[in-house]
Amino acid sequence: MRSVYAVGIGITSFTRLEYPLSEIAAYPAMMALRDCGLSEVDHLYVANMGGGRVNHQTGLASAVVDTLSLTPAGAETIENGPASGASAIKQGFMAIASGMHDLVLVTGAERMREVNNLEATEFVATLTHPLAEYVYGVTLPSLAAMFTRLYMDKYGVTERHLAMVAVKNQNAALKNEFAHLQQPITIEGILDSPEALTNNPYVSEPLRFFDCCPVSDGGACVILASEEVARKLDRPTVRLAGVGQATDTHAVHEREEPTDLLAVRGAAEKAFNMAGLTPDDVDVAELHDAFTILEIAESEEVGFFPRGEGHLALERGETGLGGKLPINVSGGLKGRGHPVGATGVAQAHEIVHQLRGEAGERQVEGARVGLTLNFGGFGNNVVCLIFVREE
Amino acid sequence: MEVYAYKCRRCGHLHYPYRMVCRNCGENEHNEFDPVPLPKRGKLLTFTVLHSLPPDFEVPTLGLAIVELTNGIRITGQLRIEEPTSGMAVRGEVEVVRTEGYDERLGMIFYEA
Repeated sequence: MRSVYAVGIGITSFTRLEYPLSEIAAYPAMMALRDCGLSEVDHLYVANMGGGRVNHQTGLASAVVDTLSLTPAGAETIENGPASGASAIKQGFMAIASGMHDLVLVTGAERMREVNNLEATEFVATLTHPLAEYVYGVTLPSLAAMFTRLYMDKYGVTERHLAMVAVKNQNAALKNEFAHLQQPITIEGILDSPEALTNNPYVSEPLRFFDCCPVSDGGACVILASEEVARKLDRPTVRLAGVGQATDTHAVHEREEPTDLLAVRGAAEKAFNMAGLTPDDVDVAELHDAFTILEIAESEEVGFFPRGEGHLALERGETGLGGKLPINVSGGLKGRGHPVGATGVAQAHEIVHQLRGEAGERQVEGARVGLTLNFGGFGNNVVCLIFVREE
Repeated sequence: MEVYAYKCRRCGHLHYPYRMVCRNCGENEHNEFDPVPLPKRGKLLTFTVLHSLPPDFEVPTLGLAIVELTNGIRITGQLRIEEPTSGMAVRGEVEVVRTEGYDERLGMIFYEA
């Protein structure tokens, strides 16, 4: 396999965007092309989950390649639920590693605010098992809530731990100008004060409003290149060193140990093996905190902390900026927002930004190895990426 | 009315929900599974009360649960218990769980045993 480098990045604000889905995908691509000083690519992968259902637009990649005037380059839309973004990056990786292409543009976009919050949640719920989950009214927040209760019973995680993740990530987003949530929160306000239940009502018990990521519009882009092309560009060299993906049962109730996220564990193991690295080597990570519990559980499953001890590392402040292993310094899905098809690319955008040392106020000092974990379904399709800064 | 699990004719492994290839022995030649009614009794493994409901549901809140049935098979269903606790005994009834226009969908609803 040939080495693959991330040479250009771009992102939109994650918020409510009043322009078409194809432009939400194209705008960060223009920024990424400018970032690396290129005007042509061999191929595009466009990550998107809901274009057909939410925006009445299918064949998105054809619209994006044309709006960017990049025809006749090849272009495909990649749909893999909320892991579409990292899946598209994986496709780009394979295209370059195989020698088929030298330069691939991967852009992810979603425009979910075209419908209201309940309809957006309903659209995402269509990824659950149609006969064994969806029919009952199961949504992603309800699956996360049932998972949270098991985690609480088994490992002693409390609502306070969940609130700590919410506060850490939402307040981290204040240092990210592209993040959706720009409002500071406190444990007092969302958990301890007499108004906490009004400020922070239950969405699906025991998960509350501030335990869930917002519904966002947004796009993000990463341009991947072969070593030969990357060396010619005047940008810091960040290599995509590890790519891993794993799947698990479609219905959550079928998993032998329901608190295990085996696809997270499997994806991370494969990515670390390919990169020849271990969890101890990681300096900064972007985990898929669509719900606060997921940051805790994933931090264990990828191997940063022993099983059942993720919340203890959180208590010790190890996962905040300045801690031993900062997680979601961008704000994560919780603070930056979660335009589903864009999220995996936005995570990679943040890691490349960090490894280049260009992250400003939220820079993790001396970061050399970064990891992203993009969680599709409720853990039934997971992609892990590992990036390494080279000198 | 029943909700069915699917038993592999080669190795006897029970699946819920249905899948086309046996998860245990890989049997995939003739789609050979026998439907077996799921037991109606079990214990509550985990549950939630959903306050933010999908558009098809015109109720203020919706109880949802994963139940471990007496034969060890787990099922996701709706829950109608005032104050549920993990591990409590429950019994299921097959009833209408969702109405989409004129289309009534059936599934398992769990009550206190």
